[in-house]
Amino acid sequence: MNTRTILTRIGLLFAVAVIAALVAGTTLAADNAAPVQLSIGNAGPREVEETTQKAIARDYGRAWQSMATALANSDPAALGDDWTGIARDKLRAQVESQQRSGVRTRIVDRGHRLQAMFYSAEGSALQLRDTAQIETQILDGDDIVGSDTATVNYVVVMTPSADRWQVRILQAVPSF
Amino acid sequence: MMTNAKHPALVGIICLLFLSTAHAQWNVPERTQAGQDVTIRASLDVYVVGPGFAAKLKPENGSVTIKGDQLRNAGRYLVSNGQNSAVMWVEPSEPAKLNFLAQPSRVPAARPGVISGTAFVFDNNENLVLSSTPVKFDLRVEGAPTISRTVDSRDGVAWIRSDSSRREGNAEFTAAVGGIGVKRIVRQVAAEPCNLSMRARPEKKGILVETAPVRDCSGNAVPDGTIVTFTQLDSKGKTTVDARVKKGVAAALLPPADSATISVASGVVMGNEIRWGGRQ
Repeated sequence: MNTRTILTRIGLLFAVAVIAALVAGTTLAADNAAPVQLSIGNAGPREVEETTQKAIARDYGRAWQSMATALANSDPAALGDDWTGIARDKLRAQVESQQRSGVRTRIVDRGHRLQAMFYSAEGSALQLRDTAQIETQILDGDDIVGSDTATVNYVVVMTPSADRWQVRILQAVPSF
Repeated sequence: MMTNAKHPALVGIICLLFLSTAHAQWNVPERTQAGQDVTIRASLDVYVVGPGFAAKLKPENGSVTIKGDQLRNAGRYLVSNGQNSAVMWVEPSEPAKLNFLAQPSRVPAARPGVISGTAFVFDNNENLVLSSTPVKFDLRVEGAPTISRTVDSRDGVAWIRSDSSRREGNAEFTAAVGGIGVKRIVRQVAAEPCNLSMRARPEKKGILVETAPVRDCSGNAVPDGTIVTFTQLDSKGKTTVDARVKKGVAAALLPPADSATISVASGVVMGNEIRWGGRQ
């Protein structure tokens, strides 16, 4: 076995290790999602199928993760495809506003209790109520200049796209 | 001794005065309406974070003003002066816009619960209006009575399921709140054929079969292109001919036969049967 072969093998092992680390990192990020519980008792007129229930819980949790990343880093690209329509426009505006002012927002997401309220007959829109446990911090540079921990209620509308459910409306409300 | 005893009380009173003054100075409103200016007394920088907006505002003459166009989006705003944080709710204004989903775009006539309409009620800043709002739905087709229902929105959404009317044609499906209305067109087409009937007569090259005008159970002519299947069973076997409705009727030429049984069908609907060979 010559030196070149040894170096090639070491290189291959390194590449495998890097890929493994990246995969592990992705899994870790996915595991870090705050718990999302969904109840469908009040939904209608269409029944929320089991696969849809799983997709909603998964995609809503992922949308919150991407929002938290986008706001923490003032990076609109982090929103990915988890947001659409009005909700996406408003989040982008908030991120751009953060970029201009130097203010950032850190969201510590402790979980969501979702209640499906309306699922349209043709399956094109799902409305939910979310009771979320959220800590919000305002950062100026790296200094925390304001914070709040609360149970926050949201009215949510999600719509399906080719491969996921996207958040179309997210509006906090004082109470349900 | 007296002097010493008074000091803690004095300090307490000063502290209370200071705290109450500080609290009075931090006058973040609990609620405001979308699009309205908010002025907050402040001697320190004020940070505001909410839906669509984040800012650090410098006080001028002892206050900061958050402009109405910075508070367009309804929701929860966190306001801080670096020492105290407060929550301010921005509420949607009056309904000004409807998003209306009507499904499907084409339906059979006289079918129960086949049309669905969903209206989302927004203010002029794209905020969902969450207070209950009556939304009027009308389904109107020329020559038939209008189907009309009013539904109160819940969390900004109102929806109905409606029967299609008995007449074919373009139905105007509208949703309205106050003076705001949105119209969608739902094409109502004839449903499955009803009372399908045919007659047969001899021709040089075979037996010509032709239906009566093909209509649904409400009397609407089925669209041209609808497939009608004629089947002939005779001593040579079975012959099937698919014919398209053209100008309201379907016709086909079947092979000559001395004696045969001829039937007609369209989709799942069977028509009459003819026994060919002297007796029809």
